[in-house]
Amino acid sequence: MMNKKADVLVIGAGLSGLMAAAKAVEQGKKVLLVAKGMGALGLSSGCIDLWGYDIDQPDQVCSRPLQEIDKLIQVNPHHPYARVRDVLEESLDFFRKICAENGSPYLENEGGNWLLPTALGTMRPTYLVPASMAVKSLEEADKILVVGFKGLKDFYPDVLVANLQRNAELKPSCKLEPVLVEVGSEELKPAALAHRLERGEIIDKIVQQVKPLLSPGAVVLFPPVLGSSGGAGMAGRLADELGCPVYEVSNIPPALPGDRLQKTLLHHLKTRGVEVIIGSTVTTAHLEGNRCVKVTVRCLSGTMTISARVFVLATGSFLGGGLEADIEGIKESIFNLPVQIGAEEWSVQEFLDLKGQPFNKFGIAVNDHLQPVDESGQVLVKNLMVTGANLAGCNYPIEKCGNGVALATGYKAGKLVEVVHGE
Amino acid sequence: MTDKAQVVIIGGGATGTGILRDLALRGISAVLVEQGDLAHGTSSRFHGLLHSGGRYAVKDKEAARECIEENLILCRIAPSCIEPIGGLFVEMQGDDPEYTEKWVSACAEAGINAEETDVQEVLKSNPALSSNITRAFKVPDCAVDGFRILWGNVNSARKHGAKVITYSKVTKIHQENGSVTGVELLNKLTGEKKTIECEMVVNAAGAWAGEVAAMVGLEVNVIKDKGTLLAFNHRMMNKIVNRLRPPGDGDIFVPHGTITILGTTSQTVDSADANKPERQEVLDLLKIGKEMVPEIENFRLVRAFAGVRPLYQPGSSATGRSVSRGFALLDHQQMDGLNGFVSIVGGKFTTFRLMAERTADLVAEKLAVDAPCRTAQEPLTDPVPEELLKRGKKVFGIPGAKKAAERLGDDFARVIEEAEQNAEKRQVFCECEMVSRAEIDFVARDEDCHTLGDIRRKTRMGMGTCQGTFCGYRTLGALNKYEKFARSHREYLSVFLQKRWKGIRPVLWGQQLREAQLALGIYCSLFGMERMK
Ligand SMILES: Cc1cc2nc3c(=O)[nH]c(=O)nc-3n(C[C@H](O)[C@H](O)[C@H](O)COP(=O)(O)OP(=O)(O)OC[C@H]3O[C@@H](n4cnc5c(N)ncnc54)[C@H](O)[C@@H]3O)c2cc1C
Ligand SMILES: Cc1cc2nc3c(=O)[nH]c(=O)nc-3n(C[C@H](O)[C@H](O)[C@H](O)COP(=O)(O)OP(=O)(O)OC[C@H]3O[C@@H](n4cnc5c(N)ncnc54)[C@H](O)[C@@H]3O)c2cc1C
Repeated sequence: MMNKKADVLVIGAGLSGLMAAAKAVEQGKKVLLVAKGMGALGLSSGCIDLWGYDIDQPDQVCSRPLQEIDKLIQVNPHHPYARVRDVLEESLDFFRKICAENGSPYLENEGGNWLLPTALGTMRPTYLVPASMAVKSLEEADKILVVGFKGLKDFYPDVLVANLQRNAELKPSCKLEPVLVEVGSEELKPAALAHRLERGEIIDKIVQQVKPLLSPGAVVLFPPVLGSSGGAGMAGRLADELGCPVYEVSNIPPALPGDRLQKTLLHHLKTRGVEVIIGSTVTTAHLEGNRCVKVTVRCLSGTMTISARVFVLATGSFLGGGLEADIEGIKESIFNLPVQIGAEEWSVQEFLDLKGQPFNKFGIAVNDHLQPVDESGQVLVKNLMVTGANLAGCNYPIEKCGNGVALATGYKAGKLVEVVHGE
Repeated sequence: MTDKAQVVIIGGGATGTGILRDLALRGISAVLVEQGDLAHGTSSRFHGLLHSGGRYAVKDKEAARECIEENLILCRIAPSCIEPIGGLFVEMQGDDPEYTEKWVSACAEAGINAEETDVQEVLKSNPALSSNITRAFKVPDCAVDGFRILWGNVNSARKHGAKVITYSKVTKIHQENGSVTGVELLNKLTGEKKTIECEMVVNAAGAWAGEVAAMVGLEVNVIKDKGTLLAFNHRMMNKIVNRLRPPGDGDIFVPHGTITILGTTSQTVDSADANKPERQEVLDLLKIGKEMVPEIENFRLVRAFAGVRPLYQPGSSATGRSVSRGFALLDHQQMDGLNGFVSIVGGKFTTFRLMAERTADLVAEKLAVDAPCRTAQEPLTDPVPEELLKRGKKVFGIPGAKKAAERLGDDFARVIEEAEQNAEKRQVFCECEMVSRAEIDFVARDEDCHTLGDIRRKTRMGMGTCQGTFCGYRTLGALNKYEKFARSHREYLSVFLQKRWKGIRPVLWGQQLREAQLALGIYCSLFGMERMK
């Protein structure tokens, strides 16, 4: 059987795994990343949520997410943010630096949340956003033109318009207008449309149909299909041609911005010499005492083992595959670590309950070094760190912190590889 | 506002719609009133088994005979609503062999063709089944699409002048000098009230029949018996499989297309609306189901759902009761001295046509209309012409066209036309059930369609593995241009998602838990819908 060796093995190619690998390799480690699939990043909006709403007034968008997280840690010391508060700012800086270096800058909104329109016409708070999505001052627009494409499923300008009116604070005189442009008769898939845009084939067609509808003070919103790679390139080009701001809004998968971010980070890892193996599943961990020595991996060609000095478990929640539930209960899929479920029911009656569905909070408890611990705080596997959606205590869909927690915990794991190995 | 008709039928289930068609074919003017959408009650919350009668052969020969007779009639008049896949009764190790013998002779007496078949053959073609099967018999059970039968009844009745009013609840039944004179309706969408004057009222309110009778101060004793069912996302076997033992919980598997339904439980409840499936019922069903399908945990469960059986129990004054032990036709003139009021209670989906025939016979007699029942001969739906299917395949693909043709029947032609004219309408909105935008658009315009749930029942959109996560949102894209869908998107979508959630929650593990996490990612992380206005 083939055996591979590395200093650090990262399991998972979601945001937390990618961040862990990026930070570890920066410290001169030999890093290997194995993942069975692509995780939740490509399903997400590509924006980094940090913390969305006031803890005391859960209907109010919070204006200072970092300060709100300090408050959170006071009231909920088991939230994953409590484990990474020390590195939160530097992790965000690190992330922005990598993205900028690779041509996909992420923008901050002066320490506050962005409030961005979605394809449903709601407004969602988020913290770091790709330049193409960074809608500034919608409330000052005199006209909002929402552009869809004939033949593109899943983006309905009239739905966005109808709901934006109720959900956004706009100028009373602001005109909203939906329009469907035609760029060909066949059914359009987002990725194919993005390619055609990038090849410059249909820009003229779009401009021709959109431009006559513009008036001074107009802002144009598009589905997230403006190019397949990161950066504001395509949105910027359309903005130049149309002579007004152009943005992409978040939409249901398959939406490209999350995908672009994943590509950007994977590209970065490759340039730094991280070996990335996608499509392979880690099935078992081999422990000696309370240290992991190697894991068994099922890949296309059969099975192999990978030995490493430090392991990062970035396998996500149920969706990613880090947690598995059957009728009897829930288990962590590789190390069989204890999963914190609490006394609650797995779910609550209202699907969209403001407190969130409890199962989203299930996960692994860790110490400040992100090592898995049992109830008494005893470390279970010394050279293992757990990150991202696999951690217990965070209800990201409601709290608006999914990618934020993944980013910060992944970063910290990468930073601590030396420390944890030495223990 | 006041309307007029000879007969008002209360209840838009199989029974009520069956009566509507029967009366319409006899030339009697009738209006059906339903408090929700058609099939709001038990007729959309059942197993979908067109019984051969085998299940009742030992205990109730009369009911068994009714089943087999109706089974053969429906196969003839409504072939497009029925999958004639046949059923098996299997005896397993530990089951009483004497019961099997009793059952075989009871089937023969009831006229049910039960033919013993080789167990090894059965296992070969149905590998999911347990090897503990000791004997197996083939019977003419079928899978039936309840929605399609109901729409079939209604479409046929409308062609003959009948009317249907949905989302309206009968709140009062007017009477004068010992005779019914009309009903009062409350429109549940607008809050408006309305009266319909009539000569007769037929109470076909299923599990709600007691409440309806109480409106005229009468007692009709219906036991409300809740049954929970499980839907798996696999065709686990090629035939319907019944356990050959005295009927009990969880012993029937019914494959429908690509899914299989296992059921059912049985529990007396207080309210006809008590149709929330519980996790414990799911666990109980899986445990019993496992005896017949040992690997049952490996099949993906999509959802659980429950219905409430209307079981009739005659009170002390059982005079005027007639016909059968399976169902009862109550002539309240004879029983209670109230002219123009009849109740039809109990029964099964399989026997709805017979129940309707008996009811319509009585109504016709009372109205002195001399016209025979025609529902056993007149086809319920017309087969879709080959040429149309060919055109459909061009716009919807082969499997998509087939499914749409089955669902749409006579309306298929119009939907094809729209898709031919507008390429955008060929988009598949529901990938699981292959429902096109054209079909959703068409159904949304239907006068009975007011919610995403109505569209779901008419098209099956949202019934597959994603349980509406994707197609629920897409459907908004089709609704927005219609003025009648004037309420907020938040309301349409959250009501729809909540109803789906009710069935997912009791089976929340494995793939469905992952699916739920994805759905929350989309509706909360991406759309922030929990705070939407
Ligand atoms: C639809 C959706 C939209 C979202 N939108 C946003 C958003 O807009 N903003 C935001 O901040 N957050 C959003 N979130 C939340 C956020 O995306 C996640 O919380 C976060 O990305 C989780 O990252 P992760 O790296 O911890 O896990 P994941 O992304 O789930 O990654 C897990 C990785 O581990 C791999 N893996 C699992 N098991 C094994 C194994 N045995 N062997 C090998 N590999 C394995 C998986 O294949 C995958 O690569 C969204 C979530 C969803 C579902
Ligand atoms: C779990 C389960 C599985 C079953 N499986 C099978 C099977 O496989 N095969 C089979 O043959 N039978 C089966 N049955 C039985 C069968 O489903 C029912 O007998 C049949 O559907 C009853 O139809 P119905 O029209 O009488 O009642 P319903 O379908 O309940 O119709 C009554 C309607 O009246 C309406 N209503 C009530 N009050 C009012 C009012 N005041 N105003 C207006 N409208 C009102 C209700 O909303 C309802 O839609 C099953 C039943 C259950 C519960």
